Amino acid sequence: MDNERKNDVSLNSDQRIKVLSPGMLVFKRFVRNRLAIVGVCCIGFMFLFSFLGGFLMPYGEAQVFTTYTEMLNDYAGVSRNTEFRYTLKDGKDFPLVARSQLVLARNNGETTFSSQGVDYSFTEVSETCLEVSAMQRVAEANSFGGSVVISGVDGFTVSAAFESAFTEAIESGADRFELDGVEYIVSGDKRVSGAYSSEPVALASYNVFDFASSSSTNNFDFQIAAETAAGEFDGEGSFEFGGETYMMSPDPDDDEVINITLGGELYAQMSDYIIQPIESDVFISLDMRRLIKECIADGVTTFTWEEDGVESEYSIVRSNDRWTIKRVQDTLVVDKYQFPSAEHPLGTDGNGMDLLTRIMYGGRISLMIGFIVVFIELLLGVILGGIAGYFGRWVDNLIMRIVDVFYCIPATPLLIILGSVMNGMRIDPQLRMIYLMLILGFLGWPSIARLVRGQILSLREQEFMVAAEATGLSVRRRIFRHLIPNVIPQLIVNATMSLGSVILTEATLSFLGIGVKYPFASWGNIINDVSDVYVMTNYLFVWIPAGFCILITVLGFNFIGDGLRDAFDPKMKR
Amino acid sequence: MTTETSYQPIVHDDRYILEVNELKKYFPIKGGLFGKTSRYVRAVDGITFNVERGTTMGLVGESGCGKTTVGRTILRLTDKTSGQVLFNGQEVHDLSKDELRRKRTEMQLIFQDPYSSLSPRLPIGEIIGEAVREHNLVPKKELADYIAKVMNECGLPGYYRDRYPHEFSGGQRQRICIARALALNPQFVVCDEPVSALDVSIQAQIINLLVDLQKERKLTYLFISHDLSVVEHISDTIGVMYLGNLVEYGKKEDIFSNPLHPYTRALFSAISIPDPNYKMNRIVLEGSIPSPANPPSGCKFHTRCSKCMEKCKHEAPVQKMIEPGHYVVCHLYDEEKGVEDGAATV
Repeated sequence: MDNERKNDVSLNSDQRIKVLSPGMLVFKRFVRNRLAIVGVCCIGFMFLFSFLGGFLMPYGEAQVFTTYTEMLNDYAGVSRNTEFRYTLKDGKDFPLVARSQLVLARNNGETTFSSQGVDYSFTEVSETCLEVSAMQRVAEANSFGGSVVISGVDGFTVSAAFESAFTEAIESGADRFELDGVEYIVSGDKRVSGAYSSEPVALASYNVFDFASSSSTNNFDFQIAAETAAGEFDGEGSFEFGGETYMMSPDPDDDEVINITLGGELYAQMSDYIIQPIESDVFISLDMRRLIKECIADGVTTFTWEEDGVESEYSIVRSNDRWTIKRVQDTLVVDKYQFPSAEHPLGTDGNGMDLLTRIMYGGRISLMIGFIVVFIELLLGVILGGIAGYFGRWVDNLIMRIVDVFYCIPATPLLIILGSVMNGMRIDPQLRMIYLMLILGFLGWPSIARLVRGQILSLREQEFMVAAEATGLSVRRRIFRHLIPNVIPQLIVNATMSLGSVILTEATLSFLGIGVKYPFASWGNIINDVSDVYVMTNYLFVWIPAGFCILITVLGFNFIGDGLRDAFDPKMKR
Repeated sequence: MTTETSYQPIVHDDRYILEVNELKKYFPIKGGLFGKTSRYVRAVDGITFNVERGTTMGLVGESGCGKTTVGRTILRLTDKTSGQVLFNGQEVHDLSKDELRRKRTEMQLIFQDPYSSLSPRLPIGEIIGEAVREHNLVPKKELADYIAKVMNECGLPGYYRDRYPHEFSGGQRQRICIARALALNPQFVVCDEPVSALDVSIQAQIINLLVDLQKERKLTYLFISHDLSVVEHISDTIGVMYLGNLVEYGKKEDIFSNPLHPYTRALFSAISIPDPNYKMNRIVLEGSIPSPANPPSGCKFHTRCSKCMEKCKHEAPVQKMIEPGHYVVCHLYDEEKGVEDGAATV
């Protein structure tokens, strides 16, 4: 029928004019805006890139890439002992302060010293070993003009034998006497002197004992026996301990090292080498220690050693009087900051995750957050602004005051505080994302409410609204057919513009570590990897692509917004 | 300010489609911190007139005198403050919301500005037919033909129905407005300065269209205008308003041949006659129209009246019938005989 009518009319009839609806006009004007089309292309590309790209990439969002590499790891440290090493008697204590007092007293040629209220004496077991005893005063002797009065201390009963032995010692000037197998030490001057009972507490030795088996450890009694024997050592020696006879002989490779054998088996080694494994649970066998000592003595820098059936290569690095033993080892390494390659087109980030995949998934999240937040803003803003504008009076007043209050809230500090609170509460990253959207939405609606209210206030007074009332249209129809369609253009422009700013805000928050969190990617937290100048200047591929995505997206939304605003503006010519 | 000035209720006379009795519309002025109503703008301050079926009543007066408010209050687009508006004997302001919505088809409004009175987002067929559909005035199937018919009557080709208001000129838009009003098949139309936004040649077309439609459909118009020559052309009766009051009201011939109120005379002396030899004898009013929020005491016109008497300053005049159907509100005609210049003779 339409065709027939067209055929009837003349060529220049205005019936032939193509009729365009306002929507079509806007569309035509929009399409003619080149910048707007660029914006549409940018956003379209970003959508395809993010939503389709995630499916095409073979990697997961939070997949960490690792490789095994041979690495030289520190295995043990070796040094020559130049200080006393202390072996404590079971249940005894020899505090640090006393240890330094010991060194001081020995250098001064004294044999007793006191520290923290305790008197100590020491005797040489051998040239390199001292036995330290704690002294307890048992008796006191006061001499008045030739007569000596001896009295016990702390409930010590002075026997006649003790008295005579003590007096003899004082008179002869001896510094110790023995009675009933107990040795007493005499200290003091002629007039007042004390007798002390002594009890060994520790051994101070320059020697280091290494044992063949990890189950045997050094103890006071073993060491004092060994040290005593070593003091008399002249190429051969032996001592008894615990009912066993231990033989001593110099090590064939190194004269300074003494091997202690038990029943023909090597039991321990005495030397001044300290070999300390870097990791505490590693036991270095005596044979290996021997090898290390040999290598150091020979100046060899590499050796191989087989342990648990695995042969590893070791190297010895010397710095001053220390040696470090390093082992070549297969280690699981995270591929962080890998430069772009065929496997990872944009490289990997600081956590060893594929950057291109992260950017794709991050795009999904950034765009989704943008749209959802704007949706929440629109929902709240249109409803509240619409109510305020349409009903006016006190409702309008109330809602607009709420809007004023929302405008007074400093958004950035609030977001930072809430982000930190969520950090503190360790909220699940997915839930956190939802909270983030809600918070951003709740902070953003007032401007839209204001816009809608203003529009409705001005539209309500337009004559076509009066006409709608005068023709008796229902309230619903007046709102939905006449009011809303006239508010929508401004809303669309506003929403498009705020999409860009929401994405920016989200990126900023994520960058600061209070937005979207690992394992979820967002463009902001990808850039978050760039925490120092080194990464920024050396690994450009980490932050430039994500930053570029943010730039393109925000720019795209702004171009579209501008284009829409121009297209909706009726003052623009066709 | 109290508003319960008593008025004598009138009894419906079937000759009249519209009877307005002592109609008042005061707009509150909100002031102060808590929006207390401190004063009122007396936009319409007690006017009384009747409109006969099938006739046109012209309402003239200068800007801001309350003409538009009268029109809108009659249609209950704003609520009255007091008085009576009887439409076919039914008080318009007593109707319930639903009744009012149904009644709206019988009384329509044509606006002054054809640009802002059409929603820019609807095609004109929809603008015209929307309310027809809403009120179920014609069966759905016939709606398209009905719209085309109404558009043709108003001088618009039917195929315009898919076009949008922005594609039309002012005159065409006014035709669309008229079509929208007439599509509801009303008995009574308030024309609120329908031609003042149009240029003179288009004005004539629209006026003639209105006259033709009136003849065809037996319409009654309340024609609000400040253009006296237009009013003279179209009206049967004329009311002259000044500051919310109807100062003179009567048949067109009576008013034009024998204007009684000093304001009417001043107004009519301003009509330009297209004759270069005609010497205009204009009565120039001093000063400007006082604020309706704070009107002068007594006769509201006394501040500008050339024939002001002492009485005018204190005592408000009442409406008097000078000759059959010719009413005036002025102290000059208090006595049976005119005080001066024989204006009240005949």
